[in-house]
Amino acid sequence: MSEREMLLNKLSTYQFAALDLQLYLNTHPGDKETIEKMNRFDKKADELVKQYEEKYGPLTKDATEGNNWSWIKAPWPWESEADC
Amino acid sequence: MFVYEKKLQYPVKIKNTNPKLAKIIITQYGGPDGELGASLRYLSQRFTMPLPELKGTLTDIGTEELNHLEMIGAIVYQLTKNLTMEQIKAEGFEDYFVDHTTGIYPQSAGGVPYTAASMQSKGDPITDLHENMAAEQKARTTYDNILRFCDDYDVKDVIRFLREREVVHYQRFGENLRLLTDKLDEKNYYAFNPSFDKKCFKKK
Repeated sequence: MSEREMLLNKLSTYQFAALDLQLYLNTHPGDKETIEKMNRFDKKADELVKQYEEKYGPLTKDATEGNNWSWIKAPWPWESEADC
Repeated sequence: MFVYEKKLQYPVKIKNTNPKLAKIIITQYGGPDGELGASLRYLSQRFTMPLPELKGTLTDIGTEELNHLEMIGAIVYQLTKNLTMEQIKAEGFEDYFVDHTTGIYPQSAGGVPYTAASMQSKGDPITDLHENMAAEQKARTTYDNILRFCDDYDVKDVIRFLREREVVHYQRFGENLRLLTDKLDEKNYYAFNPSFDKKCFKKK
């Protein structure tokens, strides 16, 4: 696994943990403890997104910066680095 | 509104091609209990849902199913990458190949193109939530059946993740159904449609 993939997996883990709790919160909106936990995972995911985008390029079009339209840069999510 | 994130919900990285397995797994792309149907079902039903919890759950699960559709597409793509004519013939991929080459097309394992006839948006939240709980179980069984044909860990790992999500979604839909019936006149839930007959809710 490349360093890029390791960072992507780490951020996906936090993102997924937050998403799963958000789904739970839709039916348990008053659960304060879970909201706090979700916020913690969300914050951690945001930090990792920033770290990832600085190193490897944008995850959303909004995050695309600079003179070079890096949004279209490979690899796309269904590809591996070896394809590029 | 939807915004694309250039990543998968769970990583798909398959080293060995397997066109035979791809033809089985594609059923979760465009088959009767697949992710496309799941997403369309929930994202369509949500418009007439009566409670905020229900609208939120259907929006979020319907969106998550789009992640899963993308993951299934990635699996099929990677299982059919750089195939040789010999592999195509040896693994019985000719019938798919002649229509789509190695393009990803929404169809069932039996080759039936995606059809909305396999889903319903009934406009009655009790009916729709029961449909959704059944849909999650049908998808879970399909993933269990797919696992019977998988001996590659790279594929199995992703299919297991997707299977588990069906179980979680089933649980959430069950909670939605309870939240709804708790707010209804309990004399007879089936004497009204909570999306259409507004008077069926308990007075506050």
